[in-house]
Amino acid sequence: MRITKSTSDLPALRRGKTIEVTIDGRKVQAFEGELVSTVLLAEGISIFGRKHTTGRPSGIYCGMGVCYECLVTINGTTNIRACQTFAVDRMVIETAGQVKP
Amino acid sequence: MDEVELVVVGAGPAGIESALIASQAGVEVILIDTSPKPGGQYFKQLPEPFKSDDRSDHQDKAQRLFQRLGSSSIRVFNDTLVWGIFEGTKPGSWCLALYGPGAPQRVNSRAIVLATGAFDCSIPFPGWDLPGVITAGAALTMVKNQRVLPGKRVVLSGTGPLLFASAALLVQAGAEVVGVCESSANLLRRGLPYLPAVWGQWGRMREGMGYIKTLASHRVPYRFGWAVTSAGGGNRVSEATMAKLDRNGIPIPQSQVTRAVDSVVVGYSLVPATELCRLLDCDLVFEPGRGGFIPRRDEEMETSCSGIYAVGDCAGIGGAEMALIEGRIAGTSAAVRLGHLTKRSAYEVTSRERIALRREQRFAKLLGDLFSPPAGLFTLAETDTMICRCEQVTLRQIREAISYGAQTVGDVKNLVRTGMGNCQGRTCGSMVAQILAAESGRTLEDVRYFNIRPPLHPLPLEVVEEHQKEVHTP
Repeated sequence: MRITKSTSDLPALRRGKTIEVTIDGRKVQAFEGELVSTVLLAEGISIFGRKHTTGRPSGIYCGMGVCYECLVTINGTTNIRACQTFAVDRMVIETAGQVKP
Repeated sequence: MDEVELVVVGAGPAGIESALIASQAGVEVILIDTSPKPGGQYFKQLPEPFKSDDRSDHQDKAQRLFQRLGSSSIRVFNDTLVWGIFEGTKPGSWCLALYGPGAPQRVNSRAIVLATGAFDCSIPFPGWDLPGVITAGAALTMVKNQRVLPGKRVVLSGTGPLLFASAALLVQAGAEVVGVCESSANLLRRGLPYLPAVWGQWGRMREGMGYIKTLASHRVPYRFGWAVTSAGGGNRVSEATMAKLDRNGIPIPQSQVTRAVDSVVVGYSLVPATELCRLLDCDLVFEPGRGGFIPRRDEEMETSCSGIYAVGDCAGIGGAEMALIEGRIAGTSAAVRLGHLTKRSAYEVTSRERIALRREQRFAKLLGDLFSPPAGLFTLAETDTMICRCEQVTLRQIREAISYGAQTVGDVKNLVRTGMGNCQGRTCGSMVAQILAAESGRTLEDVRYFNIRPPLHPLPLEVVEEHQKEVHTP
């Protein structure tokens, strides 16, 4: 869920211009400046991938590029950290959340 | 190959400050950082397309630092990873292998300042690897820099000011915070002896008071001596159980409360990012109050490796103010080493800094002593709890490794692959050490830490291949 209100510690902010990305075949709106992980969270998607050995779900954890839990496929390239990659117009994002192990 | 006098790795407060001081003295400096913009975690900037009219003191301070950086002659490479440091072409020099757009593949340097910061310390509990469980650092970035909520109903568990700040910001952003579990108890009584260290830290106290106001006005239950002991849900978090901790940090079963939540934020202080120190085989010392193993340094911030300095949180958790001071000392020392300053003029600069440093060290000791996760918390994991998430290694497998005779975390890695995955043991390193120490009756100092090999992060294979080709070409 995107935060819309502003407070003393969260001064008013204007996001970048509207872009369109594809998540698992579905077109959604996002904003320039948003990370792929942000777009996914805003769409209510918390399962980004599945562990290769056990099939257990994984999602964003450290949010700073350390843990590699948020790996997704972007424009066909696998294993990209969603928390370190900015969304751009017409980006194609694939999660493994829907795939059964 | 690019030749430079000094490379600074990490553009947080410590790195920027050391680069600036050295550059002002006439040193030729390259500053390298993995983020798109300098600032590190403390002065993390909004992404370029986001516009905000932030007039806080914090932002003001950040802007002044960036202005100084912008008007300096320092070459800055953002979005760039230092994936290895090797012996340089000339004796006594170092060769840094880089990966990033616009950055040279290699830089040869006579001295290096490591200012790589820190990351959240993880403590495993049943369900901690479910999507929906995030670190306090992640929560802060989401709310402050990305303006997205990790969840609607959130519980927080951890220790220290970072947890506090995350809770207040989540509340302000509109999340329903159903509880905050601070694992330290009796803070007031235990904090009294430290009052002299707080003297003069007014900026910090004002910030803290603001957060207290937010939490109080929203009637957020803040429990001292409590922790989240498990998270439940099928494919993602749907509930969390909290419990009161006994004196050793072991949860008291009768006190358990379970709440429906869609997000759990955990923040058990920080771990220094010592990968490059370990790669270079710098001597490390064990200081639990400063985050565990940290590089041994002299008064000039130089490590046991000649020409390698370490400053800021990567050399022991101490916060941004300490990082700035250490940065100034290291930048000055590097300038002396490289022949741009005399020892005498350097002394004039650093003698003042050292007084300020002692004050910060007292404050860091206060935070370290008051807000360290109790050892009992490391017993929360159950036999099938994942410890190494990358390689999916459970507590049971780690116990097997111990029963085979593993004596160090390196032994555990060799036997069951903990720390061999994508994160290279950053996440599980401290946990494996705690488990091994507790179960084998050895000290944390004895069980050591994971060794580090290049590349420091996963890289496209052609990058490493290219490097090998060039290195081996006469």
